Amino acid sequence: MLDALDKKLLKTVADLEVLPKGAFNIRKNGKLLQRQVSANINIETNAEGTGIIVTIKPGTKNESVHIPVILSQAGLFDVVYNSFIIGEGAEVTIIAGCGIHCGSSEPEGHAGIHDFQVGKKAKVTYVEKHFAMGEGRGRRTLNPTTKVFLDEGATAEMELTQISGVDEADRLNEATLGPGSLLLITERVLTEGEQRAASTNNIILQGSGSRANMISRSVMKGNSKQIFHASMEARAKCFGHIECDAIIMDNGTNETMPALKALHPDAELTHEASIGKIANDQLTKLMSLGLTYDEAVNRIIQGFLK
Amino acid sequence: MLELKKLYFTVQGSGDDNGAPRNIIDGIDFYFEKGKFYVITGPNGSGKTTLAKLIMGINPISSGSIFFEGKDISGLSITERAKAGIAYSFQQPARFKGITFRDLLSIVTGTDDEKKFLETVGRVGICPLSFLDKEIDATLSGGEIKKIELATTIAANPKLAIYDEPDTGIDLWTIGPMVSLLKKELTEKTTTIVVSHNKAFLDVADVIIIIDKGRIAYTGDLEKALPLLTDLSICAYHHKCEGDQDAGCLR
Repeated sequence: MLDALDKKLLKTVADLEVLPKGAFNIRKNGKLLQRQVSANINIETNAEGTGIIVTIKPGTKNESVHIPVILSQAGLFDVVYNSFIIGEGAEVTIIAGCGIHCGSSEPEGHAGIHDFQVGKKAKVTYVEKHFAMGEGRGRRTLNPTTKVFLDEGATAEMELTQISGVDEADRLNEATLGPGSLLLITERVLTEGEQRAASTNNIILQGSGSRANMISRSVMKGNSKQIFHASMEARAKCFGHIECDAIIMDNGTNETMPALKALHPDAELTHEASIGKIANDQLTKLMSLGLTYDEAVNRIIQGFLK
Repeated sequence: MLELKKLYFTVQGSGDDNGAPRNIIDGIDFYFEKGKFYVITGPNGSGKTTLAKLIMGINPISSGSIFFEGKDISGLSITERAKAGIAYSFQQPARFKGITFRDLLSIVTGTDDEKKFLETVGRVGICPLSFLDKEIDATLSGGEIKKIELATTIAANPKLAIYDEPDTGIDLWTIGPMVSLLKKELTEKTTTIVVSHNKAFLDVADVIIIIDKGRIAYTGDLEKALPLLTDLSICAYHHKCEGDQDAGCLR
């Protein structure tokens, strides 16, 4: 059963107040807590027992799957391998996320390795939120990996967010795009205190007419540090864009390395990157509307990470 | 309602003048009356925008004082001046990521009331449906962002509204309606200060203030201002300029 703490974690990472309608799979402290399948969406444990396989029937429309993970057991490092098979022409929203509650000085962590096979003309929206809390001082680690394969004309829209409280994160996103497919990734990471986060993104534009847009928004507070690598490799006539912005607050540091590789003469690849403090004209504008300096900073960061 | 007393804004000089400090605003005394429409004009680099920013508190004054409704506001922050009822419309409005027009309106009005937003947006004559949830980011055109800037200033229902070059980036056929709008928003409770070169604003001003080299060169009506305005070349190089012989000068 869900206790009060579980409910708070679920609310934060998956916006769930009550058990969702439709398919879901809730994992707590490395074990299945509750599962429900629907007519079009099947969830089963994989052969190795290390994760789940979510299968969406071709042509499924407007359905969603929630697969949150919650951790509150001291000393546990939970690794899970999940596969998503999205049938031809299906349209589905997958809401993942991991919430850690750390009540002791022992470390806790989770690594979710998610691979997506998105069928022809299918469309998947993947929302992943990472969050940690608790009075304990144990290190909280979250190392998510997503691997996406887009078939012809498929679309994947991925929103990857690390909200707060995560001490250590090593994030990896990989994607291969088939002909005419579209990949949109937005990653938002907020670090504070002594936290560290690294994000590595390797996107291969394999098919003709494929398009990819990777947006990264980072905020470093306190003494925290973030490292961002993004590489787009074009192997056909395609379009790719990387946009990475980092806002430094306090003594935070950032390294951003966008890389573009055109292996085809008709490839169009662009990137824009910026690292800096909050722009002065933005602060002045909001203060001239009546916000204090601190309120203006919060408002700008809130919008930036929205 | 607003009084400037012996106002100075001084910057460290550049190499050109051997590093001697330079007064961008060079001792301005002026009293703005409640409910009037003022237009500040003058050559480029004469100190118009600097003066407007001193009133809002964006630039700190070097010496002198500013009284607003009888109170000395010289030491107040931008935020405190905004709360006291001064609103400022920037010549180059800031662009954000992830902040919408609706967000700005909600900050300035302190409410999320959709009806109130629509009423304000309607007053400014911009389409609420296409604008309200637009992000104030780099994709907005120069004209769009200026309209949003004006609307935000008007939504604040300020006692003193300062508009710095409100017509920058606005298409010619919108300037007329914009002038009427600012004039209409002017009630006996609002004082309006517009920094502009545009004759459309000069035409409707109650008082024109010409600033040159950081000093007030003229205050009064348009008729007597016109000869002065033609005299003062609207040019930052008038001390060096050779006038008509200077090829490329459009004056």
